[in-house]
Amino acid sequence: MSSRKDRAVARVQVNHSECYLDKADVVIIGNGIAGLAAAIEARRHLPGRPIVIITDQPHPTINTPALKQFAIAKLTREQLLAYPAGTERAERIHVVDAHVEEIEAQSKYVGLSGNRCFGYDSLLIATGSSPVGLPEQMPGHSFDGVMTLHRLEDYLDFRRRLAEVRDAVVIGGGAHACETVMALLYWGIRVHWLIRSKTFMARMLDQVASEMVLNNVRRAGAIIHTETEIKGIVGRVGAVAGAITNHNQLIPCQLVLTCTGTRPMGTLTQHCSVPMQYKNGILVDGKLRTSVRDIYAAGDVAALRNPHTGLYETRAQWYAAVAQGRIAGAMMGGHDELARQPLGVPWHATQVGELSMLTVGEPLNEDNEVMILTDSSQGGYRRLAIVDNRLVGYLSVGTTQPDSLAIKHIIDEGHSIRDVLNALLKGNFDARRYLSQQKSHAVKKWITGQLLVPGSELNGTARTPGLPETDPVVPVLTTSQTNALPAKTSAEHVSRPLEEQLNTIPTISNQFKEQSVIYEEEPSPFTGNLPVVFGQKRDIDGCLFLKEDVENIPEEAELFIEDIGPFSGNLPAISDRVIESQKQSAKGQTIRPTRKLLTYVENGA
Amino acid sequence: MFKMLKPNPVILHKTKPQVELEIQACIGCNECLLACPALAEPITIDVLNRETIAGPISASVERFTHACYQCGACVSPCPVGLHRDAMMMWLKVRLLKDPKEVHMER
Repeated sequence: MSSRKDRAVARVQVNHSECYLDKADVVIIGNGIAGLAAAIEARRHLPGRPIVIITDQPHPTINTPALKQFAIAKLTREQLLAYPAGTERAERIHVVDAHVEEIEAQSKYVGLSGNRCFGYDSLLIATGSSPVGLPEQMPGHSFDGVMTLHRLEDYLDFRRRLAEVRDAVVIGGGAHACETVMALLYWGIRVHWLIRSKTFMARMLDQVASEMVLNNVRRAGAIIHTETEIKGIVGRVGAVAGAITNHNQLIPCQLVLTCTGTRPMGTLTQHCSVPMQYKNGILVDGKLRTSVRDIYAAGDVAALRNPHTGLYETRAQWYAAVAQGRIAGAMMGGHDELARQPLGVPWHATQVGELSMLTVGEPLNEDNEVMILTDSSQGGYRRLAIVDNRLVGYLSVGTTQPDSLAIKHIIDEGHSIRDVLNALLKGNFDARRYLSQQKSHAVKKWITGQLLVPGSELNGTARTPGLPETDPVVPVLTTSQTNALPAKTSAEHVSRPLEEQLNTIPTISNQFKEQSVIYEEEPSPFTGNLPVVFGQKRDIDGCLFLKEDVENIPEEAELFIEDIGPFSGNLPAISDRVIESQKQSAKGQTIRPTRKLLTYVENGA
Repeated sequence: MFKMLKPNPVILHKTKPQVELEIQACIGCNECLLACPALAEPITIDVLNRETIAGPISASVERFTHACYQCGACVSPCPVGLHRDAMMMWLKVRLLKDPKEVHMER
């Protein structure tokens, strides 16, 4: 009798284990850089909780922008890894190899291939994008040799084919097409580049910049056909033999590479039990929340609202994906406050042909109040869009890349550029010195009392119009779904933006107060931590001390000014011992200029 | 004369938060390492980036960090306009600051 009972219990247990639901606090779909960055960020906040990445990608996370170096065999496959091998294991991030087929948003689980399920507390969709390719109805689109370069597999395929290719056609007018053309030229292949519009990267570059790039690529050996589209592909026994253009020209080739852009992989939204706002990407707010509760989206698949146009758009770029992944990770780790840093203006820095290209913000903005300045001296081209002494867009094409991230931060933080306009225009702008001076001017004003409350207004520069503190994406409220989504969503979403607006100013003021401390570790990323106090003490005009303050500086500090070494300048003091020894050595001698130091002086002057 | 020779320390290197942002923006193309005259071992950018920010520093990266003499050859090849010299400087600082914490168990 008892044995029978035991058996029954056992059966229940078996049944139970059969429908047992795997569950993790954080579930991430996709192991691109956004997914992995989110997982690592979430791990920081949830040290002991299960974090899972579900992916069907057969390789670990790679540096996708470096694939162009892989295409010309400058890198090996191992060098493509974005994080050292084994990072996932070291961070205790569980990677599940499966394809996600559906999302049950009410019961909070995802359905995987092979009839498996996986429960989540918060879910991140980071499925990335897929190439658009040629339209289905185009004759010959399925011939062997018609390909897109998007994933690692594509590049492996590409490299295998190279030996058989003498002529190739590249279609598309973007940076990716340009990189592909350069890669083919590197291998000694004749390249025909078909661009639909008149110019290159028509949405990001103006006529002059586009001409510069196209001329550069032409000089490198490519044959460029502008205002040309492909009409069909001719094949011979299943393989590409040529491409026909809209000018009825036949270009013989063995390879057709389509670089006509990507589209977000949003198919999951159609398989979500609660309708998710989707329009050329999953619509998310500034904190990457989708319209469905506890589901986030980041990377190429997420569409954020552009504060200038009010339209939701994706930012399919590396830096955006990393930044979004980290924000999503912080959100899923329960740290709203870390997600408050806005992503800022669009930023794209890359190499096109043999030139470096940088576009930040909206250099092509042609509104009435926008002043456009251009300069094409010194072998480069720069275009500035300025509104009331504030930079709103910067475009630079040339042989050297300016300090791109610093320029992004000038735009993001809305600094006045009156004093550096010329340097920006000429392309010899020293961003770091400028930003530190901005800060020191602010501190000086604060000391002299021109600013009453420190940080209430940071020299008029703190509040930038148009940082993407966007409203939440409003959930689709259908009758069938109102029960499933409690009233929490709407009420919470409405109240939040106001809170955030109130919070922006205090955060700045806090960080600003810290400025009076000389050695601090982590103030605002681009303006803090610089020893303006020591370095500029002698230069009364641009300095932060008033005359009387300077006179009151103790002897100790005086000595220290002398011996700030060129290479330890703005770094925190390492230890007292080091400083002591520097003092000793500084007594007898002034700084001995090394060659490196001299070049800096020249640049500075 | 003195003023002319005296460098402004501000322009030389970047702060830690800036370095972290730059590492986020790094696309991993390895151009900086290819240009480096001091690199003697096959170090890859993923390892270098990860160890620059936090965590233990492996023996090879430590040797490379000591070998780096801040020539700046890594800055101009960067397609994105980042400053590997500043990142290396932070590695040097990390090695000096808390040698016990950062050294990997060997």
